This record gives sequence, structure tokens and C-alpha cells, in this order.
Amino acid sequence: MSDFRAGRLAAMRAKIAAIETGGRADSGVLPFGDPCIDGCLPGGGLPLGRWHEITGPGMEVETAAAPAAFTALLAAPLALRGETVWVLRRDDLNAPGLLGLGFPPERLIQVCARDEAEALSVMEDALATVGVAAVIGEVEAVDLTAGRRLQLACEKRQATGFLIRRRPFGGQARREAGGSAAATRWSVTSAPSEPPPGEFGLGAPRFEARLERCRGGRTGQWLFEVKGAYDLEQRDGTHPLRLVAELGDRQLAPALPLHRTAA
Amino acid sequence: MRRLYAVSAEAAQLGLHVGQKATDALALVPELVTAEAEPEADAQALTALVDWCVRFSPAVAADAPDGLFLDVTGVSHLWGGEWEMLSDLRSRLAMNGLPFRSAIADTPGAAWALVRFGEDGTIAPPGGQGPLLAPLPPAALRLETETWAQIERLGLGRIGQIMDLPRAPFGRRFGQAALTRLDQALGREKEALSFRRPPTPWFARLAFAEPISAPEDMARVTADVAAKLCARLEAESHGARRFEICFHRLDGKAMPLGIGLSLPGRDPVRIAKLFAPKLETVDPGFGVEVVTMTAHAVEATSGRQVRLDTVRDAALEDGLAPLVDRLTNRLGPERVWRSVPVESHVPELSVGRARPLAAPTEARPWSRETPRPTRLFRRPEPVEGVIALTPDDPPTQFRWRGQVHRVRRAEGPERIGEEWWKGEIGDASTTHIRDYYRVEDAEGGRFWLFRSGLYEADATPKWWLHGLFG
Repeated sequence: MSDFRAGRLAAMRAKIAAIETGGRADSGVLPFGDPCIDGCLPGGGLPLGRWHEITGPGMEVETAAAPAAFTALLAAPLALRGETVWVLRRDDLNAPGLLGLGFPPERLIQVCARDEAEALSVMEDALATVGVAAVIGEVEAVDLTAGRRLQLACEKRQATGFLIRRRPFGGQARREAGGSAAATRWSVTSAPSEPPPGEFGLGAPRFEARLERCRGGRTGQWLFEVKGAYDLEQRDGTHPLRLVAELGDRQLAPALPLHRTAA
Repeated sequence: MRRLYAVSAEAAQLGLHVGQKATDALALVPELVTAEAEPEADAQALTALVDWCVRFSPAVAADAPDGLFLDVTGVSHLWGGEWEMLSDLRSRLAMNGLPFRSAIADTPGAAWALVRFGEDGTIAPPGGQGPLLAPLPPAALRLETETWAQIERLGLGRIGQIMDLPRAPFGRRFGQAALTRLDQALGREKEALSFRRPPTPWFARLAFAEPISAPEDMARVTADVAAKLCARLEAESHGARRFEICFHRLDGKAMPLGIGLSLPGRDPVRIAKLFAPKLETVDPGFGVEVVTMTAHAVEATSGRQVRLDTVRDAALEDGLAPLVDRLTNRLGPERVWRSVPVESHVPELSVGRARPLAAPTEARPWSRETPRPTRLFRRPEPVEGVIALTPDDPPTQFRWRGQVHRVRRAEGPERIGEEWWKGEIGDASTTHIRDYYRVEDAEGGRFWLFRSGLYEADATPKWWLHGLFG
């Protein structure tokens, strides 16, 4: 009986998975290398061949510095597979900064779009191109139709899209779009760094990332640290982000229990 | 003194001629209608006519003030022969109401002579310009007025007589220029014409029985003419970086359009696609009767090869190069770039822009150890309310965009000075010095601040925010 039930359940799961993916082949995932986070994501990693939305709270809506750095880190392993296209509205992305984080700027093509619609259409065009592994776009809002179009473009060549939500400086806040076709949605902000004991200055950059929405997975909140930032040595192919701590859904207390002394 | 600059055929029949005093002409023909000469407008009209003539051959050279050369080598067969081409040209000029004379010869010099002093519409047989030039006056040799007047004064009234003279004494008497002109007319010496457009052998042309104007027709003929030109490029293993299409309208106006490629190419479908969005800007007027396409920056390219070792190259040709071309032609070349290192210490000068598929630069790459922000503001933004313990200390608190940030950790300073070695030694000063600090506030925001100038006891230092690390 239990075997029978298990078999039916497995068949049903496969059916649902087929409906969810629309009958297309699974295009693989990009694991973070830590079961804490990979367990929340469908297939054990960041889904490729889909697009992901990255936002930031407060001032980050306008500056989009932490979301940009986090996105570059997410896309860094993909840069080994092909070119990355970064579609900007304001041209303030600094390539040496990306290099310091571990993203190779020699594989990056920057495009400055004149308006929102153009940025989305350039993203779509780039996603459907052979030889482009990842496309990062900075747009203010994306509605359901535009999101669906991006998804179809991703499926053409299994390229991965990253959409950074960024409002033009001094612009009025737009109404939040209802639904979204994104595979995941992250809210990213900078977190205080911890230099190694006995050292002055800043430690490796840390980011607090909240997975607000995840198709076929669970949400969560984590604290990441960049491995080998501002380091002369090139890293191997491992993921540049290291999980420091898993955070609860509650609001963070200012002092993190990172250096808990044994009582 | 006012003189006649040009006369019409009717006026010439009445005995008026160019250079005559206007008062004399009016005395001879009291009802003479004169207009002010406008050499600039004439030059513009000649340029327009030169552009119009591109429909016959890509190599057109203006011959100011009143003529033009058309190099018909290798294009007359498109009309079925030189005579057919010339009659087509003549009928079109007559339709536009232009008075003209025409001639075809082996050399520009002979054609010049025949058109001005020979019979209108002469076509000199190949190599047979000698007998046709012989009865013409020496003025037909494009000589200075004094020279030909002197030759005529000596009793040499025909070019035939000059041809019979011994060359050396003639050259000594009338100058080397006269001898050169004679040789150029007879084809013994080459003559370089300055063509309106750089002559390109990569030229294709389509003429239509009926003028076209529908947008879909324009798109189709673009594809057709591109296919025609690309077939030639393909046959000779060449590719071009720039293509120019020109729509010749019924009313004589030419509408050019151009596109560029990041890698030399010859794929007609791709080229037609790049032209497609620009076709809307072409106003067909009463219709387009001729379409020409030229290829520029042509280089030899090997055909497509399947190479197993270079996957990246294959991807480049298939996907990336067309993508870059699409974006560059749509947004403009300054909006699509790849950041490349420039050897400079000044942060805003250390990033250059290169064309996305250009070869990597020789400059030293950026250092990985020196922290640089993810977002660098084009203009540093002023920060206020800076509190620093000592002038050399990083700030402990600052206000940016109305928000107060308390600094928790800081790194620095990194002193970046003016690149004094690039200018005069006298201009170097210590005022353009920036001390950069990387600071982190209590919330974790990381900022790149700098204090400009050296510390001075009486002045409060000015602080700026130059970038955000994120």
C-alpha cells in the first residue's frame, strides 16, 4: 500500500514538475555549495535558463549598489561559460570594482539604453543570442507581459537573466506590478563586515539577502560573505559567495550572534 | 565691370558670348534678360547632379564649373552597351530640362575635348580617339588660355598638327603641362580623377521597370541588392565592415543609408535586417527607380570554417557579432561598449571604452587588490556634516542626501594625486590631491569618500562621495 502510494505520489510530482516547466527540458542549476540555501531552491541551486529579480530596500532602490554587486557575484560563475551583457540606464557601473569582487570585466559588454522599454528589448535580444550566458538589466518595473517575454527569451538559448530593480534618481515611485514571471526574487542589502580578529579596516564585503519569492522552492534569509574579494589570486570555479549565517524571518538585531562565546 | 558669365543657346545665336561686357550685350540685344551669376549655387547644383549620376556608375567626378566625368568602365553592359547607356542618360537629362552635351571616350581628356568641341553624343571607339581629336582646335586640350592662344598664333589650328610635331621642342616651347595634356587625351598617360565618393569596386545596382514606394517593396529590394553584392563578396572571399545603400528617386534625389558591422561580413540576410529599421526614414516621394549598394572597408575574410578547438570563435560569428551590430546600429556606437583598462591613477580616467569585439588593449590590467567601488559617480557628490577626529583621520560621521551615516569601520587613506608628469612642471600643484577612504556605516553601507586638497589650518577640508561599494 505504502509502495503504491509512494509511486503515485512520485508520478504526480513528475506531472506537476512537467506542468511547471511547460514541457521543456531542465536546463540545470547553479548551486551555492551550501545545503542550507541549496535546499530552499528547486533542483538544488539557482535555476538557469530563467530570470531572477533583485531589489534593494531604502536608498538602494536608487543607487542599486548592493544589488549590482550581489548580481555580479551570482553571475560570476556564468561568465566562464560565455559573455555577459549588462544593460544600464545610468552609466555608473565601474568595471574595476567588479574585477575586485571577482567578476571578469573582459567578458562584459555594457549597453546604455535610453528608456525602460528599450532596456527590456535589449535584454530580450541579448538573452536569445548564442554565446551570451547571462544578461543583467537595470529597469524600474517589469509587468507580467514583459516578464513573460523575458522568460521566453531565456528559454531560447538557456541563458540566465538578472533584473535589478532600480529607480532613476529623483524619479517618482511607480506602482508595484502585480504578479511576476521571475523564478526568484531577492532583496539584497549590504551588511556590516567582520574583519579577521586583530586586523583593522573593513573585512570582506557581506550581503544580507532575503529570498522573497521562489518558484517551486522555499523562501529564506541568509548572510553572505564574498570569498577572495580584492585578492590578487584568481579563484577557481567555486561560487564566489560563502554562506555565513542563516537568518530567521524576523527582523535582524544589530549585533549578530556570529562570535558566540561558549558559556 | 559687369560681364556675361554664361549665355543661353538663343543668346549665343544672336552673337553674344561669355566674357562679353554686359553693356555691349545690352546694346546689341536691348531686350536681353540677365540674372546675377551665383557660382556657389552652380557648384551645389553640380554636386547634386554628381550625386544623381551615381545611378549610372559609382565613380563620378565633378569637373567644375560645368562638367562631370563618369567612369563607365565595367558598368555600360548593364544597359546593353555604351550607346544604350548614353541614350538613357541623355533622355533622363532631357526629361529634367537640363541643357547638356555628352561624349564617351577612352580617356577623360578625349571625352572632355569631344564634348566641348566635337559633335554632341560622340562615342569614340576603343583606342580610336586620335583621328577624332585631330580636327579639334588646341583649346580642346584643357590648356591655359595663354598657352592655347599662343599655339594658335603660331599657326597650329588643329590638334592633328601638334601630334605630328616633334615632342621635345614642343614641350620646351609650351611647357611640360601642354605635353601632359596631349598625352592624357591620347591615352599615353594615366590621369587620376578625384571622384566624389571613394571609388569602390564593390558596387551593386538594381533598376526597376516601375518605380517602387511601398515599404515592403523597399525591404525586398534591400534584401535583393544586398544578396547581389554579397554574392560577389562571397565569390572573392571578402567581407565588408560598412555597407551603404542609396535609393534614387524619380525626381532625381538620392537617399543614402548606412550600416556598420563589428566584424567584416557578407551575410545578405543580416545586412538587410540591419537596414530594415532605417528604411522607414526614407521618403520614396513619387517612387524609387534605382537602388545601389556599395561596400566599404572591404577585407579578405576566409569563409566559415568549423573549427573544433575554438568554440568561442564560432559563437562570436553566430551570435555575438550580430547582436553587437544590432545594438550598435540601433542605439548608436557610443551606447555599446566594453570597459578596458587605461593606465591612469585617477579613478575616473582609469576606465576606457572599447568596441565590444575589438582586440584587447595593451594597457596594464586593473589591480585586483586595491578596492574600487561597484558604482562610480561621474561627478563626486558633496557630503556635509563631516566629523573627523584629526585632519588625517577618516570621518566618524557624514551626511549624504539628507541622511546621516555613522562610520563603524574605515580604511585609508589612499592618496591619489594629479598626474603631474602629463602636464608642464610649473602647473603641478598640491591642490589636486585626493585622500580616499573606504568606510562602512553602522548599517553595513560601504562608501568611497575623499577629502580634496591637503590639510590647512585655516580652511575646513571639503569631503566628497565618489562611489558606492554595495
